[in-house]
Amino acid sequence: MQAIHQDNDSVLTECELPALKRLVESLETRHHIQVIKNPGICLTMVRAEDSLEKQEFFLGEALTTECEVSVDGRPGYGLCLGEEPIRSYCVAVCDALLHGESAAPAELLAFLEEHRALLIARDTEEFNHILRSHVDFKLMEQD
Amino acid sequence: MGYVAIKGGEDAIANANELVEFYRIKARTKPIELAQILGQFRLLIDKIMGEGSLYAPEHAALVLKQNEGDVFESAFMLRAYRATLQRRYYSEKLATREMFVRRRISSAFREIPGGQILGPTRDYSQRLLDARLVTETMGDIDAFLGEFEAKLDRSSLHGVPTLSKVIDLLQSEGLLREVEADTNRRVVDITREAVKFPAPRSAALQMLARAETGGIMSLAYSAQRGFGSAHATVGELRVGEVPVRVRDARGRVRLIGRIRVTEAEMISKIKTQKKDPVPYLSLGYGLCFGQNETKAISMGILDRTMRSGGDAPCQTQEFVLYHTEGIESYGFTNHLKLPHYVTFQSGLNNLRQAVERKEKNRGNLGFGSKPAPQKINQPAS
Repeated sequence: MQAIHQDNDSVLTECELPALKRLVESLETRHHIQVIKNPGICLTMVRAEDSLEKQEFFLGEALTTECEVSVDGRPGYGLCLGEEPIRSYCVAVCDALLHGESAAPAELLAFLEEHRALLIARDTEEFNHILRSHVDFKLMEQD
Repeated sequence: MGYVAIKGGEDAIANANELVEFYRIKARTKPIELAQILGQFRLLIDKIMGEGSLYAPEHAALVLKQNEGDVFESAFMLRAYRATLQRRYYSEKLATREMFVRRRISSAFREIPGGQILGPTRDYSQRLLDARLVTETMGDIDAFLGEFEAKLDRSSLHGVPTLSKVIDLLQSEGLLREVEADTNRRVVDITREAVKFPAPRSAALQMLARAETGGIMSLAYSAQRGFGSAHATVGELRVGEVPVRVRDARGRVRLIGRIRVTEAEMISKIKTQKKDPVPYLSLGYGLCFGQNETKAISMGILDRTMRSGGDAPCQTQEFVLYHTEGIESYGFTNHLKLPHYVTFQSGLNNLRQAVERKEKNRGNLGFGSKPAPQKINQPAS
């Protein structure tokens, strides 16, 4: 089985934005947050390779939003696909709190676990819908 | 012959732009929301992103609305927008084995590890018009979604698997090998470096990934009809979402989201040399943004034909890559609508002078004088 959404960034980039925003608004009341670099859009060139010869090539670019903050003096970087200024700021705040010297806030860890479970449930349900189109074609000679 | 610029016409151009806007909305129907385009024109958005070479679904929806559904113009606009942005990151190489698979089939093997999953496809539909959509309501949509959800047995859900690849089977038997060609493996970015032919394979794959779908389909079809040797089989076709990871300012690999891609692994037989008479199989590779199976399959076929040698159009790298570049071919074709007065008049002057010279030469030889028109019933003198 695939270990989906185990990465915290996977949760933060895909969870419901209003919920993430509420979490960060709550964190803002207890931490000193300074925006070092305002959210801004840029490009990420997506690298790929062919399956057999492993020839690397550039697939195309993806719109990306980046943001840099300092939370209680700890740096945080927020990166996500699309034009997502609020999400990139929220990801940056969470990144600073998750990778600082002190333990991450319980509120943040609880949020991650709750939303990780929601995303896993969402993807599992979707995949099981997809599995309903699993096919086993028979040849005409077969019964 | 050089071009001569024009000037003036500002008012007419401004009014023409206004007219475009007028015709876009003159029916006074409810404005289409981007969420509707994103939700209900999924495949069109994917096509625009692929040909615009920019993964940005919301922006693709916007340009589609702005351009009244013109895919060429929308892809063109997306590429122009892309040119205004700074490239700040290069992703780690996509790992398609990590794909959240929505669709995965093989036409080479009936039984594949993990099974064949048709996923969302119209491949087996009867292409009949669905008149119910004429009067579709939110109630219809809710009813369908409710019934759809109810079909899932939540007591026995399967976890999301990692599906091994079909080519693993052939590789384990030693039947699948690299194409024996003098491959230039240099990684080129064709948006930063002018393409020179023969181009490295990396450049060819990048150009095919952003090529116009119809263009590469035509050439791939020509290969299958015999103009070039391609008898490819879909080893595996998978559609789904793959994670994109980049290194942040601290050098940490960070997941920034997932993108939808289509991957086609096209298997074909390699012509063997006398020194190595045992035949083997190799792969043509197709990968593009979004769900665009026609494009990925065509890309896989052309990746293979361009490395096979030969003079057919599909085997000629320059022919394939230059003529399937949608934005350039669209731009060039449409530039013919712009004023070419001086160019054309210059050609016309040359033509008139040539005719005059010919007439004069005829005169010198005694053949130049035109005979007087005769009345039909007038007897010749």
